Amino acid sequence: MAEIDWKEARRYLGLHRPGGRVDEPLEEALRSCGAELLAAARPRAVWRHFPLTVENGTVTCAGMTIPSAHLSRHLNGCGEVYLFTATLGAETDRLLRRCAVTQVSRAVILQACAASLLENYCDECCDGLAREAAPEGLFLRPRFSPGYGDFPIAFQRPLLEALEAPRRIGLTATEAMMLTPTKSVTALVGLSPTPWCPPTGCAACGKTDCAFRKG
Amino acid sequence: MDIREELARRVLLFDGGMGTMLQAAGLPAGHEPELWNLERPDAVRAVHAQYLAAGADIVTTNTFGANAVKLSGHPVEEVVTAGVTLARQAVDAHGGGFVALDLGPTGRLLRPMGDLDFEDAVSAYAPAVRAGAAARADLVLIETMSDLYEAKAAVLSAKENCDLPVFVSVTLDETGRMLTGGDLSAAVALLEGLGVDAIGLNCGLGPEQMAERFPELCALTSLPTFLQPNAGLPECVDGCTHFRVGPEDFAAAMAGLVRTGLRAAGGCCGTTPDHIRALSAACRDLPALPVTPKGRTWVSSYARTVVFGSDPVVIGERINPTGKPRLKEALRAGDMDYVLRLAIEQQEKGAQVLDVNVGLPEVDEPALLPRTVEELQAVTDLPLQIDTNHPGAMAAAMRRYNGRPLVNSVSGKAESMAAVFPLLKKYGGAAIALTLDENGIPATAEARLAIARKIIDTAAGYGIPKEDLIFDPLALTISADQSAAAVTLETVSRITRELGCRTSLGVSNVSFGLPRREAVNAAFFLLALEHGLSAAILNPSSAPMLDALRAFRALRGLDPSCQDYIAAMAGETAPVPAPPAAGLDLGAAVERGLKESAVAAARAALDRGEAPMDLIHSGLIPALDRVGAAFETGKLYLPQLLMSAEAAKAVFELLRGVLTVEGDRPAAKATVVLSTVKGDVHDIGKNIVKVLLENYGYQVVDLGKDVSPRAVTDAVVAEHAALCGLSALMTTTVGAMEETVALLRREAPWCKVMVGGAVLTADYARRMGADFYGKDAMSDVRYADGVTEAH
Repeated sequence: MAEIDWKEARRYLGLHRPGGRVDEPLEEALRSCGAELLAAARPRAVWRHFPLTVENGTVTCAGMTIPSAHLSRHLNGCGEVYLFTATLGAETDRLLRRCAVTQVSRAVILQACAASLLENYCDECCDGLAREAAPEGLFLRPRFSPGYGDFPIAFQRPLLEALEAPRRIGLTATEAMMLTPTKSVTALVGLSPTPWCPPTGCAACGKTDCAFRKG
Repeated sequence: MDIREELARRVLLFDGGMGTMLQAAGLPAGHEPELWNLERPDAVRAVHAQYLAAGADIVTTNTFGANAVKLSGHPVEEVVTAGVTLARQAVDAHGGGFVALDLGPTGRLLRPMGDLDFEDAVSAYAPAVRAGAAARADLVLIETMSDLYEAKAAVLSAKENCDLPVFVSVTLDETGRMLTGGDLSAAVALLEGLGVDAIGLNCGLGPEQMAERFPELCALTSLPTFLQPNAGLPECVDGCTHFRVGPEDFAAAMAGLVRTGLRAAGGCCGTTPDHIRALSAACRDLPALPVTPKGRTWVSSYARTVVFGSDPVVIGERINPTGKPRLKEALRAGDMDYVLRLAIEQQEKGAQVLDVNVGLPEVDEPALLPRTVEELQAVTDLPLQIDTNHPGAMAAAMRRYNGRPLVNSVSGKAESMAAVFPLLKKYGGAAIALTLDENGIPATAEARLAIARKIIDTAAGYGIPKEDLIFDPLALTISADQSAAAVTLETVSRITRELGCRTSLGVSNVSFGLPRREAVNAAFFLLALEHGLSAAILNPSSAPMLDALRAFRALRGLDPSCQDYIAAMAGETAPVPAPPAAGLDLGAAVERGLKESAVAAARAALDRGEAPMDLIHSGLIPALDRVGAAFETGKLYLPQLLMSAEAAKAVFELLRGVLTVEGDRPAAKATVVLSTVKGDVHDIGKNIVKVLLENYGYQVVDLGKDVSPRAVTDAVVAEHAALCGLSALMTTTVGAMEETVALLRREAPWCKVMVGGAVLTADYARRMGADFYGKDAMSDVRYADGVTEAH
């Protein structure tokens, strides 16, 4: 099973900022929250690949026609795409809710651990897909999710439906297109014959005043 | 012909997969298969005909997603009427067979995990059920359920909108769990309680994996079983899902299960008419083995079952306001978190079921009880005992409850039985039955037994078996009547032996009016256990009671290798890390975020005679100020700030218990209404702000997450709140935040509005008309202080 990336989890908590001291009670809380999360989480993912066309700022795949300049740019040059979803499951949400009632400090730490665990788990899944694609001379693009840039968040539902995510991994979207369970990801992952060049991660994001921005 | 009679006589065969057959006929990806009932009726009818020709007794309509949530925007009734009619036509043409109205999940998660209200889920299935019954379906098949709560909604909808038999199948993963955490026993307990006619498994697993789960299913249920596995586990090849188990292997595996008691078999994803043909050849002539009633007394939550038998069950009593001023105050103030903490604490202390009573003269119990049940089920997986005298509140709470509830209580009074038994029949569960009637509590065991017999007979008239009754023979105080305990014990023993029923007691009444009550309670408890008591309602924090129980279980051979006893006692004797209060004063303990030490220091100070208000003003408040300043200057991290806040909160809670007279307490600085806005389900930010504001002396009204502009505004007006805090995490919910601000401006112009959340900026907040943008929780506290000082 995927592990928590502690460096990332600590960064989400702001512990990378100078000035403070991570004392023993906090270290102990980090350790025990990590163990509690790993005991509760049931990471699951489902993906499928589809042919893809990108034309005039519109992406077409899996029965979806997505008007999005950002997504078009991101998938430019790809002939196929993976629809990808992953979740840590309902138990993780229950654990977070329980801690929000009893000890918010732990809820905050668990949130950070869960975010980092989920990210790590998605990376592991995608690394596997990249290894499968490599012999065919195909490269994986980074994940791009509904709600990023101008990719309309309303595509959560058709994306989930195309993968039968509700019945296969218990992942659903609310009326406002929030994912439930909350610690979940939906994304498009492009497959292209050329390696990925444009900037990824924080450098690709327009939110320059983000507290977690790297570099 | 009623399918239930047919199923009692012979093994029946379902059909196989529908989706893959339609795809093979040209159904495009992303197109709703159900719409083909209207667009391509011939193709759908042809699938049914193929399965009937292959030997299926039951064909399943092409209506899996035909509910008002999933198929919104399309005419559900029309789609269902067409779907049932097509199946009916195929059956008529074939010359026999049953039509199963197929109902699948809504694709949405119900509250409190998701945002679909339970009643909306019930309503979502109603049009399909009515249309399906009108079009002459023979049964309702609710299938591929991966959430028990949704299954309950679908079953209620079926039962309330038609008289057809209801079959339900759930989907398990390879670990034997449902996607929302339920296991097989929780599924059987709930579904049997709702009165379904057959229970099965479908999808998710292949025949081999399902075979591993089948013995457990048979051991649990008193109903006929059915299985519809996939043709193996899905394998992804070239981006397409394939199922590898061929017809012969599939049929052989299923025939093996029929020989061990399976009563109906079919297929799910990847199965074809060829699979059903092979299945028919292999199973057609096998005898239908009898189904044995299990006679179990049990209750459940969505994920856990508790059986009342030889191993005694602890029912936690603390969520009951009688004699508990702090809980009364919390219920009146709508402080649900306090109630939830009581639940979690009792679970940690060893409770297996939690009593839930929120009855106070000034609360709206029919509204509050189901809400409390729903909120409790978001934080605990313990089964709940719904405790109320109000039939309306009982009905509402049983309906909302995710599981098979325990109900407290029914008695031998005609009025009580007439109110409770119809509910028990409809929603399932077990009831605590008090051996009293219109004439009060009889003085003798014989007379109490007579009432018990009357209750059993009356219940039977409603179709409720005696195992769904747990008798409370009532403990009366021995300080008034020396024979009281003996009569109760005799009644326990005779109900167990002569009536074959389970018993429960509120033990502590026995010592009323005596000193050192726990000594008497623990001794009486042991005696009652020895007389066959199967459950007790008690305070799980009471060490003498729990110790007595643990010792009893070890002595009685109910605790293999005395493991539970040893584990519990190890917790008692383990060295406490860093002895609390060792030299630390209150302020230092709070600053370092050490909750136990802070409480111990406060206790020691109170013992020394220091005044509670002095502790607040000279200990807590200065420490919180230092902590707040250290956070603002980057010397403390957020988790540390919160750990200090929690230490302070624990001390406030202790002092609150000491300052019992409300007037003695420090007055709240102001009332603040907090919520996460409509559409947003992420509430961590709001929860952080809440803890800090409470620490700094504010009365916080927490409306939770996904709260409409109207609800926020109504609360602000009702409380005449000086300040309202709104949180939104996603750009998509910022619109709801703007609406809320606008409504507040119109209807609560006095109220200052502060906003926060990951996607907001100070500029954005200003543009939407908020008074303040909180970049973190401390800044909200500072702003609140500014507002209240200005007043």
